[in-house]
Amino acid sequence: MHRSAVVRIRGIAIVASLWCASTAQAFTVTISAGSPRAIYLQVGVGSFTGLYNSGGTPGANPTVNVVSANVPAAAVGSGAAQAMSSNTGATNSFYDNYAFCNSGQLYVGGFYRFTSNAGGAAATLTANSSTPLVNATGETIPFTQISWTSSGNGDSGAQPFPAGTFNGGTQTIGTIARNQWAESCMTFSYLNSAIVASGTFTGTVTYTLTAP
Amino acid sequence: MKPLEVLVRALCMSLGLCPALASPATYRVDDSATIPLESNAVLRWRQVAPSRTMDNTVEGSTAVQVRLNLAPWLKRNGRVFLVLPEQPPGRVSVRWTTQGRLLPGQLVSGQRALVYAGPITAPMIEETLALRIETDGTRLASTYRLAFHFEIDVD
Repeated sequence: MHRSAVVRIRGIAIVASLWCASTAQAFTVTISAGSPRAIYLQVGVGSFTGLYNSGGTPGANPTVNVVSANVPAAAVGSGAAQAMSSNTGATNSFYDNYAFCNSGQLYVGGFYRFTSNAGGAAATLTANSSTPLVNATGETIPFTQISWTSSGNGDSGAQPFPAGTFNGGTQTIGTIARNQWAESCMTFSYLNSAIVASGTFTGTVTYTLTAP
Repeated sequence: MKPLEVLVRALCMSLGLCPALASPATYRVDDSATIPLESNAVLRWRQVAPSRTMDNTVEGSTAVQVRLNLAPWLKRNGRVFLVLPEQPPGRVSVRWTTQGRLLPGQLVSGQRALVYAGPITAPMIEETLALRIETDGTRLASTYRLAFHFEIDVD
């Protein structure tokens, strides 16, 4: 009889303990990313308040830079590639103000921010060269006559935006992985493989960085 | 424990008096009346650009109207802690300010931080916590619910 009383009392105690525990609560705060994606692309000159490695903030810069070559009349169509030079003067990287490019090169760089590193696609840099260069009398030179090499001072590995030749359409120039900064310096050449009319030929290539 | 003692404790517990008569220990505090003042804390990149030091911190603020039921420990001395258990999305850092009834402080997930120490003189403490939350933005792929709670060490 004594034993059965103990068992009954323990049963009451357990029930009471559970009741006490049930009064405890937890409050929750829901968190989410406000701006999960951010991209920055700089082709030629760019704008940055401060430097990227010290919390700088990128800005907008509408400048369209020029990359050009003067081909002597005697050399037109000779097949001897003609070096082209950019007018940007943008040689230092906003990454850390390092002199990454040399004079005459075109700086191409940017970053891709995303709130996850896991298994996601990179941002893609494309160039559209579908509209050929044209002179004052309407004669054209396709952008397929222009190629580039890629480098960066102090770099030893592969460039994120490697060497190539414009294809006269839209082509992929390279990619920027999530939460990475990528940059290359492009040195352009006019291939000079066709005889063209005299004059100044101009055209525009549009670079686009697209985040998935 | 003698049967009679067990019976007394069981009755006390069933009446909600269990912590007050219990030995010095840690108890979960009933904060069921606590209300977040905003439905969602939106965290934004601290540095827009991913820096050389890989500062991928996102940060944001929110406020919580805290109501702690301390009635079970009335007229006892205790220390109340805010607790943020380890949980997804990983390491979360929280700083908060108060209006003076609770202590300001900071903690990271997996820790607890003191918000009150002294005699429990009122059955309910109400306070507004202004929370500043930081975490690794590269792990914040979706919405997460951070579960906080309070606990009390009773002398």
